[in-house]
Amino acid sequence: MGLIKKYHDLLVKKEISCVELTQKYLDEINKSNGDLNAYITVTDELALENAKKVDAKIKAGEEISLLEGIPMTLKDNISTKGVETTCASKILSGYKPIYDATVYEILKSSGAVMLGKTNMDEFAMGSSSETSYFGGSKNPHNLSCCAGGSSGGGASAVGGNLAVYAIGSDTGGSIRQPASFCGVVGLKPTYGAVSRYGLIAYASSFDQIGPITKTVEDASIVFDAISKYDEKDSTSTGSNYETFNTLNDDIKGKKIGIAYEYLNGVKDEVKEAVLNASKVYESLGAEIVYFNLKELDYALPVYYILACAEASSNLGRYDGIRYGYKCEHYEGTHDMICRTRSEGFGEEVKRRILLGTYVLSAGYYDAYYKKAQNLRGSIVRAFDRAFADCDVILAPTVPMTAFKLGKAQFDPIETYLTDICTVPVNIASLPAVSVPCGIDKEGLPIGMQLIGRKFDEKTLLNIAYKYEQSTDNLKETKWGVKL
Amino acid sequence: MVTREDVENIALLSKLFIDENDLDKLTEDMQNIINFADTINKASDESEEFDNINNLENVFRNDVVKESLPVSEILSNAPEQADDHFLVRKRG
Repeated sequence: MGLIKKYHDLLVKKEISCVELTQKYLDEINKSNGDLNAYITVTDELALENAKKVDAKIKAGEEISLLEGIPMTLKDNISTKGVETTCASKILSGYKPIYDATVYEILKSSGAVMLGKTNMDEFAMGSSSETSYFGGSKNPHNLSCCAGGSSGGGASAVGGNLAVYAIGSDTGGSIRQPASFCGVVGLKPTYGAVSRYGLIAYASSFDQIGPITKTVEDASIVFDAISKYDEKDSTSTGSNYETFNTLNDDIKGKKIGIAYEYLNGVKDEVKEAVLNASKVYESLGAEIVYFNLKELDYALPVYYILACAEASSNLGRYDGIRYGYKCEHYEGTHDMICRTRSEGFGEEVKRRILLGTYVLSAGYYDAYYKKAQNLRGSIVRAFDRAFADCDVILAPTVPMTAFKLGKAQFDPIETYLTDICTVPVNIASLPAVSVPCGIDKEGLPIGMQLIGRKFDEKTLLNIAYKYEQSTDNLKETKWGVKL
Repeated sequence: MVTREDVENIALLSKLFIDENDLDKLTEDMQNIINFADTINKASDESEEFDNINNLENVFRNDVVKESLPVSEILSNAPEQADDHFLVRKRG
C-alpha cells in the first residue's frame, strides 16, 4: 500500500484526525526545513484551517476522497491565489497571484491540505536547485549533497517526510532527476495530460506538471486526479485517464526496451542497478529487447536550443511594471526595464535568455532554432519506431547519483550534460517515471526511468508498480512521519 | 566565434545590462555553449520540417464576453499604480 491510501484509511477509521496528521508534518517542517531548505513558504495556518474542514466532514459521517486531508506541497512556480509564488527568483519576490493554477484548483476541490510552496532552481532552470534565489535544497539522504533540480524542494520534502506528496514541473527532467537523487518516485506525464494553466512558463512546448511521491501507487492516485481536460490550456488534451485500477495487472509478455545509447557514459553502479531491474522484469515474465536510438546524440543541444529560445520569449514579460521586483533608480523606461531585469534575474537565467535570444536572432535562426526544431521531429519519429517493438523503455534517470553541493555551479556545460537521459522524453512529449532501484556505495539512491508511449500512463505505471512490488529498495524510507 | 560585441548586442536585445567586468567570462561561456549547440549541425540535413508536437490543432471558442478580474486585483501586484493604471515614471 502507498502512503496516501494508508493515511486515508487512518482518517476514515478515525485513528488520527486530519489536524493531527497535518500538525505532524508541520512539526517535521519546523524540525528539518532549516537543514533541507525544501520550503520557500510554509502555509501552516491555511493548512490547519483546511484540515479542520476535513475533520468536520469526517465527523459528520460524510465520505472523503482519497486525496482529501492528505498534506502536500506545490512547487513555487505553480500559482496559488493570495500565497506568494516566487519561482525562486528575486524578480518575483512578493508576487501573490490573483488566481489559482488549474492543478491547484483541482487538488483544492479534492480537499488536499497544502503545507506550503517548495524550493526550486530559479525559473526551473538548473539541475541542483542551487540557482534558487533562496539557496539550494539539500538531499535528505546526505546533507552534503544537493536534492537535484529543478523540483529539488519537492523531492527533498517528500524524501525527508516534510510532505506526503509534492507537485512539481518537468521541462527537461525537473521532476524525475530530483526524485532519483532523493530516492522517491517522480512522474512526468505526457505533454497535454495535465493542464499547465497557472504554471509560470519556462519552455512552453516542454513544460509539464506531475507528482513526486513515495510510491508508484501514490503517483497513480495523484495523476488520476490532476489529468483533466482544461479549456484554459490550449494544449490540454481533453481525455480522462484512470491508471489506479490497472496497477496490479499481469505484465507477462510485455516488452521492455533498452536503448544502448542510454547506457553510454553512465556510472557503473547506476548501470548495474538498471540492468538488475531488467532481470527482475524477466523474472516477472516480461521480455527485454535491446535496440539503437542514435538520434539521442543530438537530444541535449536540441533541448537547450529550443528550451532557451522559448524561455527568452516567455521571460520577456518581467519588466518591473505589472508585478514583482522593480529597480530603485533609473533614467527612462528602457533603463528601468534593463536594470530591473539585470538586478532581478540570476546568472543562469540570464545565460539562458542570452542563448535563446542568440539562436532566434537574424542570421542564426536557420542554423540553430530551425535545425533544432527539425531534429526534434527526427527524435519524435525515432521514439515512434522504437515503440513499435516495445511497450516501455527502461533507462537510467540520471547517469550518476546526487552531486555534492556547489558542484553544479562550476561548469554550465558539464551540468547540462547530466540531463542526457531525461531531456529526450520532453523533446518527444512522452510520459516517464523515475523509480528508486538501488543505493550506491556512498548510500545515495539510484533511480531508474521507465518511458511510455504517448498517453499510455496506464501501461507505464503498471510496469513501474510491478517492479516496486517485487523489490525492497529503500522500503524503510517509504512510510512517512512517525504517527 | 562569439565576440564581446555579439554578447553586448544580444544583451541589448534581451534588455539586460552586463557588467563590464563580467563580459569576458560571459563571452567565453557563450562561446562554449554555442560550440556545444553547434553539434546539431553535424546531423544530416535531410530532416523533415517539424512544426508541433502531438499534432495539435488550433483551439477555438465562441467569442462570448465573460466577467473579467477587477482592476484593483490586477493592479494589486504592481510596484506602482495611480488612477487605476500601472504607473511608470520618467525617472526613479
